[in-house]
Amino acid sequence: MNSIGRGANMAIGECQWQFRFRRWNCSTVADSSVFGPVITIASREAAFTHAISAAGVVHAVSRSCREGELHSCHCSRAQRPRDLNQEWNWGGCGDNIEYGYRFAKAFVDVREQEKNHPRHSPQLARMLMNKHNNEGGRKAVYNYAKVACKCHGVSGSCALKTCWQQLPNFREIGDRLRDRYDGATEIRFNRRGTRLVRKNRRYNKPTKEDLIYMDPSPDYCVANATTGSMGTRGRLCVRNSRGMEGCDLMCCGRGYNTYKQKIVERCHCKFHWCCYVECKTCERIVDVYTCK
Amino acid sequence: MAGVVLETLGNKKLSILIISLLLILTVFFLVGGLVAPAPNSVIPTTAINCYDEDKLWQIGESKPFLPRGKYACKSLHDLHHDKAIKDKKLDANQIVFSQQIPFVKNNTALHMSRWFQNLIGVIDLDIEFKQENPYPEEKTPEMLVEARLYARFKEETDKDWRLIASSKEQRTLECTIEKDKREDGQAYNCELIPFFELGSVFYDYYLINVRLPVSERNDYNKIGSLSDLHSIFIIQNGGFTKVWFSMKTVLFPMVVAALCWFWNRVASQGRPTNLTERTLFALGIVLSIMNCPVEWFTLFFNLPFMMLLNDIRDGAFYAMLLSFWIIFVGEHMLDQTERNRLSAYWRHLAVVLLACTALFIFEMCERGRQLVNPFYSIWSSEIGSVAAFTFIIVASIAACVYFLFLCYLVFKVFRNIGSKRTSLLHMSSFRRKYYSGLIFRFKFLMIVTLLCAALTVIFFILGQVSEGQWKWGDEDINIEYTSAFLTGVYGMWNVYVMALLALYAPSHKQFASEADTDTISQEEEVQLTQQSISTSEKSAANISLVYAYFQNFQAWAKGGKRNMAGQVN
Repeated sequence: MNSIGRGANMAIGECQWQFRFRRWNCSTVADSSVFGPVITIASREAAFTHAISAAGVVHAVSRSCREGELHSCHCSRAQRPRDLNQEWNWGGCGDNIEYGYRFAKAFVDVREQEKNHPRHSPQLARMLMNKHNNEGGRKAVYNYAKVACKCHGVSGSCALKTCWQQLPNFREIGDRLRDRYDGATEIRFNRRGTRLVRKNRRYNKPTKEDLIYMDPSPDYCVANATTGSMGTRGRLCVRNSRGMEGCDLMCCGRGYNTYKQKIVERCHCKFHWCCYVECKTCERIVDVYTCK
Repeated sequence: MAGVVLETLGNKKLSILIISLLLILTVFFLVGGLVAPAPNSVIPTTAINCYDEDKLWQIGESKPFLPRGKYACKSLHDLHHDKAIKDKKLDANQIVFSQQIPFVKNNTALHMSRWFQNLIGVIDLDIEFKQENPYPEEKTPEMLVEARLYARFKEETDKDWRLIASSKEQRTLECTIEKDKREDGQAYNCELIPFFELGSVFYDYYLINVRLPVSERNDYNKIGSLSDLHSIFIIQNGGFTKVWFSMKTVLFPMVVAALCWFWNRVASQGRPTNLTERTLFALGIVLSIMNCPVEWFTLFFNLPFMMLLNDIRDGAFYAMLLSFWIIFVGEHMLDQTERNRLSAYWRHLAVVLLACTALFIFEMCERGRQLVNPFYSIWSSEIGSVAAFTFIIVASIAACVYFLFLCYLVFKVFRNIGSKRTSLLHMSSFRRKYYSGLIFRFKFLMIVTLLCAALTVIFFILGQVSEGQWKWGDEDINIEYTSAFLTGVYGMWNVYVMALLALYAPSHKQFASEADTDTISQEEEVQLTQQSISTSEKSAANISLVYAYFQNFQAWAKGGKRNMAGQVN
């Protein structure tokens, strides 16, 4: 389906934006695993990719419903009303964000329900973890829909007021999920090996919106074929920054190369609210730093 | 002066009447709350970004851009990164936002229904923060919206879309963003833009086309970077309309019957009618006009003026109700002045008239203009919004003056009651009867009126606080609060007028006793004497809470009088 593909693309784009200054930069590979083998490790990064993908599907499906592209969107709380046109005439149509949520739940989690894994098995743990993180991603869209209202009583007074939900902006969702990534909870099996519990009891219990992970992240500094880490060699960095994007941290202490680079960029542009932008091209010489 | 039914009615009959009226009232609330759905529902849509490759719109051709179907337009999925933008050098003038309602849902093609009565459109813009193309935060940007509204019946095809309205409108766009969110891709919080209001939903499908033209020559539509245009449609739910129509259809003959009975009674008195009776009759007539279910015609004809007509009818009723209160209170002043003519109240009525005229002009400017151009909004132009504010402020000032007048009159009546009460015992039995009758009538109306007004205000506030809908308990029992409020309040004022018509009609009993002034029947003498002392309180005790308030009010009025006397001395 079109909207799912769009949702996935949106999720990848957002992931790369959110992690553009980190050692792991959400780079994708050209095979079906999308995010590459690094995601097979049950790390925070895997948790984030699952969450953002699920969020992308909810967002894209809800949006398709609103565009009228998707014909299977639900109408009312009842699953299958007997005569839809009659119900619609009587009480209108329900909302689409809920449909997006339910659709994503059925669609995304289906991968996780295929097999019956034995207790204490790492596959079971991974399945539970993925399901939790998918749910966290969906909730990041569903629970944060904003409400807008319009007053339309006599002479525009608020004697009559009608409200509806607005889909949240996807950047906002990305920000929220990155915060959850930073505060993700490490978990392990309970004694019976059927459920996941937090590893350190001093931390708060993870809620449905929180992300969880099991294994520590691999070393993203150096490329490693077994973990799938790409390393930070050749990545751009900022020279005098103390943040993650700073050359010290980004290059893991290996130092950096400095180049003078001539860049050609758009300038003196005439922007409108959309579409084709007429620009001149300017050339500029800048210092570029890349990790050794 | 003749007595009214209310005075000659025994306590038992009165309480039966009150209880049955309360029951009818409850039925109205329950019908609204349990049978009817919410009064309105929303079709939130995101517009399809069509592009007008041949610049047809700009050369003035009125061809509809369809969002989907066989003749669907060419569209962009993303207004900034779509491949076609670069390939075809599309500019903002070529983008046509298009959406058609209703949608296909659950694989069933829905269509609009005439039961929906009205259709309101709102635009919601997604403006993205972009460093290189920022939204002008220091001034609220002006927008120029070119809009076309098409419609068709379900028997017709996509080739038969008819243009039902088109316009170029100015709007302002107000957006804000928090300080810590100023990075690319974040969204501004923008206010909704009023788009159009249609007073009838006559067709089965509606299609809107919107263009936001830009030009070097003016400053319109310099709004930063737009990522999506959402058009939100609000309809009145068919179920609510059905309940509403049925209510009106039931109430109309009831009120007309009460009105006929009342006027018969008045006419059979064989004396000239008095002002209170005439006013009450007029109130009944205006209520019947409001109740008259002419809306049924909207199911067969295209009557876009119905929304305006309904507003005017509602307004006329409330104006009449306000006038009635003033006249009623004035006629029960218990002083020696003979009023009984309309001219005695010209000051009070002028205030009501002023408020109504101001609101009427405002209404005509907004909804009246919308008959010609559904996209028109008085708020969109600067002069218009100043004028609109002026009308509303004039109306509110007039309303305040009115309530001051009313409170002053009521205060005066209570003062007179207080002074009459002591002298009541020394009066001749006829005069005593006359005055005690007046007092009882007045107090009864005050209590009922206050109760109705208080209920209206309380329910209104509850509705505002709850924001939208209230839901109680399980999913099976849904109480639609807003609907209950609307039907309940509507029913309440109907019941109120009917009760007044019934209780304030001239009484036959009294008529008989008056014809024979010397030999007042023993029974009535007893009844009335009791009444002058305590019956009024007794029957009122049914509504003891409100009465307690009255006692306070009286005490306060008395105290006030004493204080005033002190000041004079």
